[in-house]
Amino acid sequence: MILCADPETPARERTTGALSDAGFDVVEAGSLAEAYEALDEHPVECVVTEYTLPDGTGLELVDAVRERHPDAACMLFTATPLDDIDTDAFGSLVAEYVHKDDDHDELVGIVEHALAFRSQTAYPLPANESARVNALEQYAADPTELGASLDRLTELATALFGVNAAAIGIIDAHTEEFLSCHGVSFDPMDREDTVCTYAILDDRVTVVEDVADDPRFADNEGLAAANIRFYASAPLITPDGEAIGTFCIYNDEPRTFASRDRELLSLLGDEDGTTVAASSHPRRGR
Amino acid sequence: MTDDYNFEGLPLASLRPGTTVLVAGPSHAGTRHLAFRMLSGPPTEGAILVSTNQRAGRIADDWARSGFELDKERAAILDCVGDDDQNVPAQVLPVSGPSDLTGIGMRYSDVYRTFRQSGVERVRTGLFSVSTLLSFGDLKTVSRFVHTLVGRIDAVDGIGVFCIDPGMHDEQTVSTITQFCSARIDVRETESGQELRARGIPDQPREWMNFDVETE
Repeated sequence: MILCADPETPARERTTGALSDAGFDVVEAGSLAEAYEALDEHPVECVVTEYTLPDGTGLELVDAVRERHPDAACMLFTATPLDDIDTDAFGSLVAEYVHKDDDHDELVGIVEHALAFRSQTAYPLPANESARVNALEQYAADPTELGASLDRLTELATALFGVNAAAIGIIDAHTEEFLSCHGVSFDPMDREDTVCTYAILDDRVTVVEDVADDPRFADNEGLAAANIRFYASAPLITPDGEAIGTFCIYNDEPRTFASRDRELLSLLGDEDGTTVAASSHPRRGR
Repeated sequence: MTDDYNFEGLPLASLRPGTTVLVAGPSHAGTRHLAFRMLSGPPTEGAILVSTNQRAGRIADDWARSGFELDKERAAILDCVGDDDQNVPAQVLPVSGPSDLTGIGMRYSDVYRTFRQSGVERVRTGLFSVSTLLSFGDLKTVSRFVHTLVGRIDAVDGIGVFCIDPGMHDEQTVSTITQFCSARIDVRETESGQELRARGIPDQPREWMNFDVETE
């Protein structure tokens, strides 16, 4: 869903028309207030906004979007010269700028590219990201069916490694959801806030001996709130080779992880991947 | 499809349009010289250089000394340091500072548009340097900026040359930034001169190779 914010109705309709013709679903807003409403109601993946809105600016809107849908592609589409746009106070937002005139081809091209390549995420994507997300839909297993067998695995892992907690997470396009947690409880998290987002870039076991000492996670409030200092995970790989999630263990103290531990965690990841895949096959066959 | 970008006088294979290379090396003359040379294409191509820690006049001088003939029609410098430099033979665009990543990105898009309007379709983009951005902003923000700029360069079939000094950052930081780029060139100084080694560039040898640093 693309959110198009522009106070001038004819201009907004032309922009919306061009985006709809390119095959996108668009929701319109004439003000910041209307745009905020749309953000609450729709899974917005892209925002195309004028700079001057009756009750604020397009950069204020981008700020709100980054809070709610951090991966969204944001573009200012405006004829306002850059000299008149105060970006300094919004320096960390990052957004595209497309000069507004009667031609919408440039805008449509940039929107298409940004959505296809997800180029405004704050984290690197696996090289095969779209195949990975497609695989995920295929293996979307029934969590209640799986729950018991996965819970046994996370409980075993906690005891085996002598850590506080273990969890099995599935990483979709924008969030990580947990199929099983032992010793910890996680709600779905934005992908940019999880360690697993980085772990699936590697097909081997990932170990972060101390998250507070890693520049990627040192400022992460979620990890601090859950009292997590040590992280290790093995990727869950589908039979087709796509990493759809992780088997992870956590501890409240930093620690090291021996090579035998890595082997064992890797086995658990394989076991878990097999369980998830096996439980999904009947659904696929139907 | 447009043609590959070539690097005359450098031991580097040509790059496919849409490629961004991270040039990693100590911020001495060798690394910068290599990056300047990679930015300097034939007269039909444009170049946009984002200068995070040097005034436009100074960076224009260094760029010219690497053998490039600057010209307002096809060279632009986004100056994050902010002094108004007169008589720079390039378009100079102000950005409020190296922490204003939103401003840098938007200025970039705007200059690119003016180049295209004047018929310059092929553009090389330099970012000197990611290290400065990292010293003013957090990794997450700089990551989003680098990812967006890499995406924009890909969308317009340009090439990107981004510099980083790996000695200034944690290994995880450098590796994260590397993952946004399609290729990486490491630079080192040896007793026999400057050497480069590339990864992720098709048809490019993987060994260390010597390159000349000549200044005019």
